[in-house]
Amino acid sequence: MGWRLGRIGENRMSQGQTGAEQRLVTPGMAVGPSAGMRAGSGIIAKNDEFIATRLGWLQTQHNTVSVNPINAAYMPRSGDLVVGVVAEVRNNLWFLNINGSFQGLLPMSLAPWKVEFGAARIYMDVGDVVLARVQEVDECHNVVLTMKGVGLRKLNQGAVLDVPVQHVDRIRGANNERLQTLRDLSDCRIMVGENGRVWVDGSSDGIAWTRNALQRVTNEGHKTDFDALMAELEQLNKGDA
Amino acid sequence: MGGYGDVQLLRDDGKRLDGRALDELRPVTVEAGVLPAADGSARVTHGLNVAVVAVYGPMEAHPRKIQRQDRAVIDVRYNMAPFSTSDRIRPGFNRRSREISKVTAEALESVVLVERFPRSKIRVEIEILAAEAGTRCVGITAAAVALADAGIPMRDLIVGVASGKIEDTVVLDLDKAEDNYGQADLPVGILPNTGEVAFLQMDGDLSPDEFNLAMEYNFKAAGEIHDIMVEALQRRYEGGEA
Amino acid sequence: MVDLVPTLLRQELSRLADADQRLDGRSRWGSRDVTLETDCLYNAEGSAKVTIGGTIVYAGVKFELRTPWPDRPAQGSLMCGAELRPVAGRKYEPGPPSPQSIELGRVVDRGIRESGCIDMAELCIVPGEKVWGVMIDLHVLSDQGNIFDACGLAAIAALRTAVVPAERFDVGEDHTLSVNGTPIMASFTRVGGRYVLDASEEEELGGDERIHITLGDKGHLHSLQKGLKGVFTPAEFAEIFEVAQTRCVELRKLVAEQEAN
Repeated sequence: MGWRLGRIGENRMSQGQTGAEQRLVTPGMAVGPSAGMRAGSGIIAKNDEFIATRLGWLQTQHNTVSVNPINAAYMPRSGDLVVGVVAEVRNNLWFLNINGSFQGLLPMSLAPWKVEFGAARIYMDVGDVVLARVQEVDECHNVVLTMKGVGLRKLNQGAVLDVPVQHVDRIRGANNERLQTLRDLSDCRIMVGENGRVWVDGSSDGIAWTRNALQRVTNEGHKTDFDALMAELEQLNKGDA
Repeated sequence: MGGYGDVQLLRDDGKRLDGRALDELRPVTVEAGVLPAADGSARVTHGLNVAVVAVYGPMEAHPRKIQRQDRAVIDVRYNMAPFSTSDRIRPGFNRRSREISKVTAEALESVVLVERFPRSKIRVEIEILAAEAGTRCVGITAAAVALADAGIPMRDLIVGVASGKIEDTVVLDLDKAEDNYGQADLPVGILPNTGEVAFLQMDGDLSPDEFNLAMEYNFKAAGEIHDIMVEALQRRYEGGEA
Repeated sequence: MVDLVPTLLRQELSRLADADQRLDGRSRWGSRDVTLETDCLYNAEGSAKVTIGGTIVYAGVKFELRTPWPDRPAQGSLMCGAELRPVAGRKYEPGPPSPQSIELGRVVDRGIRESGCIDMAELCIVPGEKVWGVMIDLHVLSDQGNIFDACGLAAIAALRTAVVPAERFDVGEDHTLSVNGTPIMASFTRVGGRYVLDASEEEELGGDERIHITLGDKGHLHSLQKGLKGVFTPAEFAEIFEVAQTRCVELRKLVAEQEAN
């Protein structure tokens, strides 16, 4: 049974190891020996070797090998700030679409108002947009949300824009520096949810500028140098003024 | 397999009617990220076959009864467009497409890390726009690229490829005439890095030796197609990271 | 699945409408880029692929031999159907044809049929016995708004490139289908209170009713359809009808250019 031999294994195994500094890896690709290293996200260990499980850029930091994915779905974690849209209202709770696989549950007890049983709809109805936090996520992906906390509220004005979930950290930058730059340039209030939804409020021009900026991030974010893109957007803003 | 015998499928010089060697693939092209509305997508042409795949999810599995508490289900729909074949196909599911959808889903469940997504489903929509023998394999290849494009974690890609037998000779990758008048067809889904097999069907007549040779051809071809798949995914996102 | 419409989206669309702006910076009667490719499906007797922004649609033409309807013994037939399969978007679900996909197919069908661009008598082979049935299948692969215009354009472009496969059916020689005219659809959606041309996915989500107008080569009306909840005034229709005339001429030119290549 010659076909059973891993005859295709040899040349394939070497593929992830072309010398380029930034390696775009695909699922199943061997990305190096596992000895002395830890497997981070997007990596599994098999026969003393690390195997990539996702499409993305290979990263090695602090002895951990991981894949920085090019596309990712939002997986809620406790503490996440999210922009949600009310999808269902019950007598004593709301279900929110938070751009994840599952809806998040917001119980009356974690709402910022004192709500009587049956009166939930008076405070928030289907389609309303809110800023909330993930209170807890269990193993079965059940998500409980809270609106008790500083700044958490129903959003009555402004616009919601979508960005790729994997770019959220980069849009914020270290210590929210990039986010602050975006706020300064657009002269808008901007909140970036971990779930890839961005809330913007300000002048029409400011919102339009932010929309364009985030669109550029969506289209080019996986390949361009983020700081260069920000610098270009800064120029663009000055040109308009 | 259709008729046997009377149709000549091998030329006097030992090559096939379209000029291919016995172990030669039809031309294959792969493109990732072709459908803006999808979470991940791919288009694969293989000979005159054209398959387009959209991936959506992971999302909550509906209806509830299909939910699995410990893993995601992969919801595959293999569909041939009405204009994809010589005679128009009436829209809708038929027994053939249901069976192919089922075994394709099971093959994909063997490579996707489904245990990461309890109670979820991942939708894989395989649309065959043009058919020229071997569409289920083209669909599997395209589905693997689309899943990777969607960022779904997988322990390997999967490559769909088929070998068969014409005029008592084992050949790789049957075209339409060879499929119609050949003696056997052996479509498989191969994990190109681990060398495992996740999809297997066969019909016709093969001796054990012929089967081994056909599998050897399939494994060789899987490596070639895998290179094209990887290149397509890299091409889509070339230009370096931030 | 019922679309979830965020209140803020509707608010923003009205605010933009008041300032005569759109989400993507287009003018009110501006269109996204439209591309047309024909003869792109190997097993179809005529085919076209249309993209409008991120919307992608294929049309394929197939022929079959059939016996004519008893009341029209010397006429062939034309049928246009659309499939909105789950491939097209997250909101689409498997199952029997939805009312929306049936509407789409029928609106495109009427525009082509009523323009008279296909002479049904020419599709007759033996009166009372054998005629051609022409079938146009529309397949939406990616819905990012305005699938109606994309389907309308793909259908007529595919039809105009179709070759009647007479040899395969043993009824003479293959010949191009004669199509005398290029009916074109233009669709308008009420967004933020006013009509716009070529609505995007977000505009459709946060918008209201839509109007589809199919015009023939001479600018005559061949099919109209108002869809979804809402009403319009005569003045509003007069305004979009004028825009539709220009839009249809532009798209018809695109079909002609594609054929000239």
